[in-house]
Amino acid sequence: MTNKGEVRITLLPLGESFTMPAGSPLADHLFSRGIEFPCGGRGRCRGCRVRVISGNLAETQSDSLMLTQPELADGWRMSCQARPVSDLSIELRQWSALILADDTPFKFEPRHGFGIAVDIGTTTMAVQLMDLSSAKVLGTETALNPQGVFGADLMSRIAAAADPGAVLKMRESVRNEVAGMIARLCRHLPPGEKIVRGALVGNTAMHHLYLGFDVAPLAAYPFKADHLEGVELGGAELGWTGPASGARAWFLPNLGGFVGSDILAVIIATRLYEGNGPAGGADLGTNGELIVASGGKILVASTAAGPAFEGARISQGMRAAPGAIDRMTLDGGKVSAHVVGGGTPHGICGSGLVDAIACGLELGIIDPSGRLPAGEMRLRGDVRLVQQDIREVQLAKGAIAAGISILVRDMGLREEDLGVFHLAGAFGNNLDIANSQRIGLLPFAAGQINSAGNAALLGAKMTLFIPDGGKALCGDIISRVRHVSLETSVDFQDLYAEKMTFPEKGGIEK
Amino acid sequence: MADLEAVRKAVEFGKKNDAVAATNKALEEGAAPADLVGKALIPAMAAVGEKFQKGEAFVPEMLVAAKAMKSCMEIIRPKLVGTDYKPVGKVVIGTVRGDLHDIGKNLVKMMMEGAGFEVVDLGVNVEPAQFVEAVKQHSPEVIAMSALLTTTMLAMPDTVKALKDAGMRDKVKVIIGGAPITESFSKEIGADGYRSDAFAAATLAKELVGTK
Repeated sequence: MTNKGEVRITLLPLGESFTMPAGSPLADHLFSRGIEFPCGGRGRCRGCRVRVISGNLAETQSDSLMLTQPELADGWRMSCQARPVSDLSIELRQWSALILADDTPFKFEPRHGFGIAVDIGTTTMAVQLMDLSSAKVLGTETALNPQGVFGADLMSRIAAAADPGAVLKMRESVRNEVAGMIARLCRHLPPGEKIVRGALVGNTAMHHLYLGFDVAPLAAYPFKADHLEGVELGGAELGWTGPASGARAWFLPNLGGFVGSDILAVIIATRLYEGNGPAGGADLGTNGELIVASGGKILVASTAAGPAFEGARISQGMRAAPGAIDRMTLDGGKVSAHVVGGGTPHGICGSGLVDAIACGLELGIIDPSGRLPAGEMRLRGDVRLVQQDIREVQLAKGAIAAGISILVRDMGLREEDLGVFHLAGAFGNNLDIANSQRIGLLPFAAGQINSAGNAALLGAKMTLFIPDGGKALCGDIISRVRHVSLETSVDFQDLYAEKMTFPEKGGIEK
Repeated sequence: MADLEAVRKAVEFGKKNDAVAATNKALEEGAAPADLVGKALIPAMAAVGEKFQKGEAFVPEMLVAAKAMKSCMEIIRPKLVGTDYKPVGKVVIGTVRGDLHDIGKNLVKMMMEGAGFEVVDLGVNVEPAQFVEAVKQHSPEVIAMSALLTTTMLAMPDTVKALKDAGMRDKVKVIIGGAPITESFSKEIGADGYRSDAFAAATLAKELVGTK
């Protein structure tokens, strides 16, 4: 012990150390250092585990439930439950996240001044500083959404929001993070220049938590948000400082239910509102939103399919960060895995998962029914897939495929009628298109699919160049959008079950 | 000799048309309707349930098996009238207030029916008062509640309380399930049990009926 009542925690291999009150939660100090808490610190997943290298951390009930005997013996503990009472050294790998920004060129009307575009994702956030006279990106900042300590998925955060103290922490932490990112970007401003406008986008829950609206209506049926409207505020009101404090910031309006301004921005960026023939899109990030547009009508829906692909329910799942298998190929009948950052693989992320299953199907190791007779599929090193991982992917991809099918049928179309399907979002961006077709996640031919990157951020940027900030355009789009609730669709259960199975070999056109 | 095995196999593998044909044939050949239920349908669903529990079968396999069983029961049920066939018990099932997810709940219902229970399905978004009313109306041995969201599971303790307030809590066993549910939550709210898969839920219901 150092001072009376304090313990010293040393983080290896970084060598960084800090002191904390003995017996207080270790978790309080770890999120900022890259440990994630997918279930919000409830002791229900294994995402926050750390390894004790020296010192002693008592085994908690969660530890014995969630970790194996070899892991416990090796020093692994669930950091969300840990309350150190003596000095410790723990092994901590920095999960430096690969966050998707955007550098797509686009047509624009030059304006005076500088603007800020902000994409507040459930997991990752991106901010860009724009020269409004040239549409040049002067700087990009990315960060994890600090609300993640309350849970990786939206419903965990909405549940946590029942506590007024938690709501305040969630609002303040995200506002501080965004303000900090903007402050760092302002260093790229020519001297004496100011930010004149800002455009913010995010899903409905992100919009509410950032602006201070009550998310309780999103906690249960009918999941109708009270505040779909866009909100305009001054930068200072949002905690923006220096050259950004005088900016006119506009948080774009939401589309309905959980489908928020980020999807509105995707619709703007991909021009799905222009009505040039039937088209569609999906933003596959932490959540999965779907869009189908035809004849001036736009249908949107959301599925909660994200967490499986982002690794939360996969035995060795992790986000796309160093140590994650993010790509797999078949090489003469054997699987070959690429690891982010090179080195030893520690787990597998969404794109790697899709590839692994496609390989397994091709090799006949995985049945079209999803059965893995061998019980496990070795990928590389200690990383393998187990039966339950495949079932989780079946649930997630079945929901997305069924959702696409429902929207397409609602429009009176079939999947093949869509001229283009835009794939946006972090997970969508890393997907191998051929493999996502192979497993039946995207029921389109290769030529139909367009990789749209971070289209939400792009759409936000585009509004900075519209004189009214895009308000009229957004109003027009909203008047033509209908939000579809997938669960209440007739036949959802049968369709969902049908889409859970994997296509037979040779079943999908490449 | 009536071929019950043909019925059993067809239901287990979800071959609805084969199951219906085999059922009709077995009845023509003198099979007792109760034997068809007890020696063909129930074992078939138990087999599927066990495979599901082990991960060898999944939702689609459960659904087609349940559909096959349902089609067979449509033929067999009228023939059970007037015999001394009795269901193993009665279960009232529903997804709680504020929640629309029903596939898990439906799988549990299929496994319960597959185990010989009569199941009253209240559907989704079921208020505590509706559960109480259903107990009064149907006198089930078991109430089964499902919730899929961390936000809606809080309707479960409310329902347990509503049963207590109505003086009905000791008249039924309450079992719960769904993705965010845990054993400790079940104990905390005073439920009689929690299981993490549909087959185990049906097995638990049988145990609870046995001990009542």
